Amino acid sequence: MATETPVLQPIKVTTPASPNLFQLFRQLTKNYVVRVMVQAIITIWAVITFTFFLIRLMPGNPVDVYVDFLMNQQSMTYDEAYSRAAQQFAFDPDANPITQYVGYMGQLVRGDLGESITSPGTKVIDQILRFLPWTIFSVSWGLLSSFTLGAFLGTIMAYKRNTPIDQVLSFAASLFSAVPNYIWGLMIIIIFGVQLNWFSVGTLRGTYDTGLTPGFNAEFLLSVLTHALLPVLVYVLGSVGGWMLNMRNSTISTLGEDYVNVARARGLTSGRILFAYVARNAALPMFTLLAINIGFIIGGSVIIEELFVYKGIGSFLFWSISQRDYTSMQGVFLIITTSVVVSNVLADLLYSRLDPRVRIGAEK
Amino acid sequence: MATITTKLPQVNRSRFLDQSRMSITVFFRALRRNRAGMIGFIGLVIYAVWILIAPAFVPFDDNVRLDQIAAPPGSRLVLITRTEDAERFRTLSDLNGQTVGVIDNSSGEAMVEPYLDQGAFEVETERFSSGRGIPDLLESLAEGDVNAVIVFSEAVRQYLGADQRAEFANLTVSNAELGAPHLLGTDTQGRDIFSHIINGGTTLIVTALIAGLLSTLIAVTVGSLAALSGGVVDNVLTAAANLVLTIPSFPLLIVLASLIRLDNSLLLAFLISMLAWPVLMRAVRSQVLSLRERDYVEAALALDLGLVHVILREILPNMMSFVAINFIFAVTRAMYDQVGLIFLGMVPINDYTWGVMLYFGRTRGTLFSPDSASMVLSPIVAIALFQVSMVLFARSLEEMFDPRLRTAK
Repeated sequence: MATETPVLQPIKVTTPASPNLFQLFRQLTKNYVVRVMVQAIITIWAVITFTFFLIRLMPGNPVDVYVDFLMNQQSMTYDEAYSRAAQQFAFDPDANPITQYVGYMGQLVRGDLGESITSPGTKVIDQILRFLPWTIFSVSWGLLSSFTLGAFLGTIMAYKRNTPIDQVLSFAASLFSAVPNYIWGLMIIIIFGVQLNWFSVGTLRGTYDTGLTPGFNAEFLLSVLTHALLPVLVYVLGSVGGWMLNMRNSTISTLGEDYVNVARARGLTSGRILFAYVARNAALPMFTLLAINIGFIIGGSVIIEELFVYKGIGSFLFWSISQRDYTSMQGVFLIITTSVVVSNVLADLLYSRLDPRVRIGAEK
Repeated sequence: MATITTKLPQVNRSRFLDQSRMSITVFFRALRRNRAGMIGFIGLVIYAVWILIAPAFVPFDDNVRLDQIAAPPGSRLVLITRTEDAERFRTLSDLNGQTVGVIDNSSGEAMVEPYLDQGAFEVETERFSSGRGIPDLLESLAEGDVNAVIVFSEAVRQYLGADQRAEFANLTVSNAELGAPHLLGTDTQGRDIFSHIINGGTTLIVTALIAGLLSTLIAVTVGSLAALSGGVVDNVLTAAANLVLTIPSFPLLIVLASLIRLDNSLLLAFLISMLAWPVLMRAVRSQVLSLRERDYVEAALALDLGLVHVILREILPNMMSFVAINFIFAVTRAMYDQVGLIFLGMVPINDYTWGVMLYFGRTRGTLFSPDSASMVLSPIVAIALFQVSMVLFARSLEEMFDPRLRTAK
C-alpha cells in the first residue's frame, strides 16, 4: 500500500524591500478599490468628452443652431450671438476647440454646468439639484423593494422547486421581466386609475400635493410617499422578475453545496441553515447584477417619470430635450451618467465587502 | 487505500457548451414537456403569421370618420327606422326605392356607399359637421323626410336612450347587424383600431430583429476576438465594453435622437445595437475563454487554421444555443428601447406602429378617457404579448440546454 509522501513546497520568502514609488504605484493599481475608482473616473471622463464633441463639433450641432437662432430672431451679429452661446454653453469663445474643451472640463470640476438656454440666468446645476433628489429617492426605494421581494420569492421558489408554487411563480417572473416597465405603468393608469377609479391619476401627479410646504411633518412626508408610490410600484414590477429567477437559480445551486449538507448533518435547524448558510451565499451573485439594474432603472425613469408626471431628473431630461434646451440636456445627461457610475462603484464596493474573494482575486 | 484523485484542469465548464447540437425532433420533444416554452413558441408563430400575412387581408384603415370617434370595441353601422316601420325595413334589400339618410365622412363621400352599391337606392345625404349631423338626421327621420337612417351605432346611442329627446322616442334600431363591427373600436379620428393593430407590428418587430441581430453579431465578433487574442486587445475591448455598459443607454438614446433625425429604422436599429452589445459580449468572451481550453480548439489553434476558421467552425457551433438565447433577449431589449423612444415622441412618425398608437394615446389624452381605453390598451397588449412570448421561449431554451435548470422529475 503506497502512502503518498507529502511533497514539501519550497516556501518563497519575500524580503520586505524598501518601498519605492514604483512599487507603491503597482500596489495601488492592484488594489481593488483603486481600480474600481479609476474605472469610474475614466467612464465619466469619456462620457463628458463624448457629449462635449457631440454638442460642440458635430455638423449641425446645437451651438451652431443656437447661434443661427440668435442671429435670425434677435438680430444679433455673429460675434454677439456666438459669445452669448459661449456663455450659456459654458465655454470660452476665443479659444480653439482643445482649449475650449480643457476650459469646459475645468468648469465642470467646479460644478459649473452652464446656464439654461430657455430660461437665461438659471444655472443648470441648480435645476438639477432641485430634481435629482426625487429620482434618487424613488429609484432607490423601488430598487431595494424589488431586490428584497425578489430574493424572498426566489428563495421560496428554490425550496419548493418543481412544485406548482415554483411553476406559477416562475411563469409570473418571466411575465414581469418580459413586459416593459412603462407598459406596466400604462396598464396601471388605464385599468386601476381610469376604468376602476381606485385612485385619481390627476391628484397623484408631481412629487407632493400642491399647496404643501416642504418640511419635516407627517402630512408632507405622507404626501411624498403616496406620490412616489406608482413610480416605485412600476420599478418593482419591471425588475422583480429578474431578481426572482436569479435568486431561484442561485439558491438551487447553493443548496447542492457540501457545506449545506454538512450543516444538515450537524442537525442545525432549517431556519438557521436557510439564513446563515444558504441565503447569504445565494444572494452574493445578485449584487453583481445590482450595477446593471441601477443603470437600467435610472435610464427607464425618463419614461416612467414622464408618464406619472413625477418631477424627477428623468422628466427634466425629457423636458429639456423637448424644449431644445441643450445646455440643460447636456448637464442632466452628465449627472444621470455620473449617478449611475457612482451607484455602480457603491455596488462594487459593497460586493467586495460581502465577498472577499473579489478583492483578493483582483489583488492576485 | 490511497485514493488517486485525478486533478481535472480547472476549466470553467460552462453550462451551455457541448449541448448545442440538437436535432429538431429532440427540440420539439423537449419543448412539449415545457409548458411555458410551448406557450411562448406558439405565441411567436402567431406573431410571425400576424406580421407577415395578416396585413394582406386587413388593409390599413386611414379613412377619417368624424361620427365614430373613439368608439368602444364592437361598434358597427346600424339601420334606424321609425318604430312603425321596424317590421318592414329589416335588411338593406327592404329599402329599395326608399329615401335613406346617411352621413358624409370628412372627405365628403357617404361612408355607407359600399353597402348601398348593391341596390338601386335613392339616397339622401345629409351634410354633417362634427356632432350636429346625427341629431339633424334623426330629426328628419322623425319628421318623415327620410324613411330610414344608416348610422354608426356608437354615435347614435346617446340620442336613442330612454330619457333622451321626446321626438326620438319613436325611433328604433331596426338592424344591428349592418356591416362588419369594429372589433377593437375606433381611434380619435374614427379609424378602425383593429386594422392598425394588424398593420402596426411589422416595422417594430423587423426593426427589433435587425437591432438584435446586429448587437449579437457585434457581441460575438468582439467577444471571441477579445478572448482568442488575449493581451492588450482583450484588455482594450473589455474596457470598451465596460464603458458602454455603464452609460445609461436609454437617456443616451434620447439625447442622440434629439440631435440626429432617426427617420430611418435601420439607423434606429444600428444606434440601439451600438449601445446593447456589451452585455452579450462579456458573456461570449467568458464562454470562448472556456471553450479555448478544449482539445479541438487547441488543436485548431496549433494547426494555425486562422482566427476566422477557429471562430466560425470550432467555437461558434458550440455556443450556438447560448447565442440564440441571448439574441432573443437582445430583441426584447431593442423592442423596449424602440417603443420607449416612439412613446416619448423622439422618433419621426413614418409608420403607424403600435408605438405611435401609444404616443397618440399619451399626447391626445385618450389615456385618461374611460371610453377610449381600447386605443391604448390594444397596442399595449400586442407589445406585451410579443415580449412575453419571446421571453418564455428563451427561458425554455435556457432550461433545455442547461442541465442545472432542467426540472428533474
